[in-house]
Amino acid sequence: MSLPLIVAAYSLLFLLLFSLSLFLFIVVRRIIVQSQAKTFERHYQDVERSILEVVSSLRPELANEVAQKYEAYPDILVKVLLDYANIITGQARELLQVIFNLALREKCLRDLSSKRMVRRLKVIRLFVLFSNPSEYSHLLGLLQDKPIVKLTAISALAQVPTPETLSYIFQAFEQDQGPLVRSYFNIMFGLGNRIEFLIRQYLKKPLSGEKLGLLIELVGAVRLRSLYEDIVVFSGHADKEIRISVARALGKLLIPESVPALAALSADQAWEVRAQAVKGLGNLKKPETLGLITEALFSTSWHVRLNAGHALANMGEEGIKRLKEIAVQNMDRYARDMANMVLDDLIYSGEAA
Amino acid sequence: MIEILESVFAVISSAILIYFFLINTFYFLFIILSLFGTFHYRNITTYLSFKDIFQLPLVKPISVIAPAYNEEKAIISSVKSLLSLEYPLYEVVVVNDGSTDSTLEKLIEAFHLIKTSRVFRKAVESKPVRGIYTSPEHSNLIVVDKINGGSKADAMNAGLNVSRYPLFCAVDSDSLLEKDALLKVVRPFLEDPERTVAAGGIIRLSNGCSVKGSQVTHVELPKNFLARFQIIEYLRAFLGGRIGMGMMRSILIISGAFGLFRKDIALQCGGYRSNAIGEDLDLILRMRRHLHEKKIPFRVRFIPDPICWTEAPESLSSLAKQRNRWHRGLIEALVYSHKMFFNPRYGITGMFAFPFYALFEMLGPLIEVTGYIIFTTLLIIGKINYPFALIFFLLAVVMGSLISLLAVLLEEYSARNYAKLRDILILSLFGLLENILFRQFLTFVRVKAYYDYFTGKKAWGSLEKKGFAEAGQHTK
Repeated sequence: MSLPLIVAAYSLLFLLLFSLSLFLFIVVRRIIVQSQAKTFERHYQDVERSILEVVSSLRPELANEVAQKYEAYPDILVKVLLDYANIITGQARELLQVIFNLALREKCLRDLSSKRMVRRLKVIRLFVLFSNPSEYSHLLGLLQDKPIVKLTAISALAQVPTPETLSYIFQAFEQDQGPLVRSYFNIMFGLGNRIEFLIRQYLKKPLSGEKLGLLIELVGAVRLRSLYEDIVVFSGHADKEIRISVARALGKLLIPESVPALAALSADQAWEVRAQAVKGLGNLKKPETLGLITEALFSTSWHVRLNAGHALANMGEEGIKRLKEIAVQNMDRYARDMANMVLDDLIYSGEAA
Repeated sequence: MIEILESVFAVISSAILIYFFLINTFYFLFIILSLFGTFHYRNITTYLSFKDIFQLPLVKPISVIAPAYNEEKAIISSVKSLLSLEYPLYEVVVVNDGSTDSTLEKLIEAFHLIKTSRVFRKAVESKPVRGIYTSPEHSNLIVVDKINGGSKADAMNAGLNVSRYPLFCAVDSDSLLEKDALLKVVRPFLEDPERTVAAGGIIRLSNGCSVKGSQVTHVELPKNFLARFQIIEYLRAFLGGRIGMGMMRSILIISGAFGLFRKDIALQCGGYRSNAIGEDLDLILRMRRHLHEKKIPFRVRFIPDPICWTEAPESLSSLAKQRNRWHRGLIEALVYSHKMFFNPRYGITGMFAFPFYALFEMLGPLIEVTGYIIFTTLLIIGKINYPFALIFFLLAVVMGSLISLLAVLLEEYSARNYAKLRDILILSLFGLLENILFRQFLTFVRVKAYYDYFTGKKAWGSLEKKGFAEAGQHTK
């Protein structure tokens, strides 16, 4: 037998055994996983039944019993508690906290500092929902953790919007340099006008352009009208992205006094800023801005023309009148086409209504 | 003479053996990387709710562009599926690419479309647009009717011109997307908006599945053997190949059936090349080339999670047409961008990804057929080393089966769509049987693609589509 033949034969044998083992592993794993899933489901139903009994009877001693009985099934208990965390409130919720404190708190605290990321991720939300706010300091360490853990911790803290947790969130936002900075926006947006004082505070800090832009966008998104003065100062900022954010935010705030700022932005050198500003002017519906918006319909930028067309449509009768005039003029066919398109849209949406 | 032939064959055979060793090593490496990537992704997504983190209002709006050519059977369910996606802000641009059947008529009837005078910027060339339609009931639906351009690329360009948003998602009109597919595939663009230029997701085969309300509700293996072979193939390609290549920053294909791209970068590259047969590969190659040449850092990402369901051909002729086109597309795109081959100017794309695709994916069928020719010749002249030939054949079969089994394992760790153990056993079996005749059939189809390429065949060809109600599927 030659050497290549021996090598080939042994390779074949090895691969064959490896393949067979892999096949058996797949089959056995599937059987085990399916069996575990069935067991989990069965136990889940038991735990769920017990917890519903606790919350409906409102007996603390029953809560103690349930905690002791299911302490050996932490994963299932965690899942049930999380599933009902947002549904159950009031006194019944306190009983869930009792169960958490007796059966899961110690394990939770251990897992928060576990070396395994999965464990840390798993308990964050549970911990925030059921522990006392005074214990949130345990989460501070996670705000220096990997981005995904940090984001989960922040997202969980946002579920319990106390001044303290809001402060943690904004601190993390300020310190975060990673790619998940934009995720803070969605979390903060969910907090509504509770964050007004913090936004005012942080707008004065020397933040990066991206973070500043996000805060300004938040002002518009949450309609924090009292922060108008705080954001309008940025309308002359050197960074185009910040000017875009200002124009967008002003367009949403609908403050009549913002017309001069938006008018100035509608003459910006960047088409993106002009487009947002024109849109904002359309939202305000001030008759004195008709001329500006009409002029924007003749812009060389397609996006500015588009927003100007829709802004005129927004202005009501006078705006539509102007659209009709532009739709038949021959000076600028691009403006004419855009006006026709907007008028068509109006007709069809009117029919639909 | 025979001695000379033997010597020549011995050299070629050794080269083929080395080639076999290398290609399988790479496939094995990709699949091992994919295992790690899948574990990591699964761990993260288990405890992270995408809806919690990536909801309104700060999302990037998306234009979903779906070219359609003679898709009357599946177009309505497909468009309904696109309109029911869970995403805060998006538009659906269906491009009727000069269909000769009643695709457009069906769309007009189903969605009460009205022709509008919508204006758009012609940023890239395409065949003329005959009309643009909107729906009063679905304000985010736009149907573009244009003259046939002979390729999906031309239709995509028309869609790009009409689209309004900074990201565009290229889909096939006969595909069904999962409701949260956009929400998941946009994640890289939110995490790394400056560098991410494209992201892709997993394509699964809908043959044998139950479809209800334009959504796949129950996954089962089809009865058709060809479809079963293709399922294992797709598992290998997407779960095994793409994830692994993504981890090596070497993705060259974001499938045209489901991919998300930055519109500004695509337009900088001139959009889709109208005469490209494999427009998905060609676009990514040209985007990579452009960004490398401009020295702009970028990432092409692959998400193992989002699901797009598409129909696999269930007849040999349709399958042959499809694979012929894919391979012609591969050859054409690689030849077009040939200057990237082992060119350090193009980073890992030029030094690894491109050579890999060229040497293994493109040339693989030729080398395989060369091996068959040598084997047959040696058999005829009675110089075959039977024990070695047999062992080598078994080695090839076992290696192929092993990689398929690893793909099945990945399926188990990721989506686990096949609920029955029986389905997993069947998939494993077909992973083995695939190496006998099915693989050889595809090899010869791909070799024929070379002939078609060099004789200038450009046509897409038509594929027999049954629509979701018939192709071994159950519609409730």
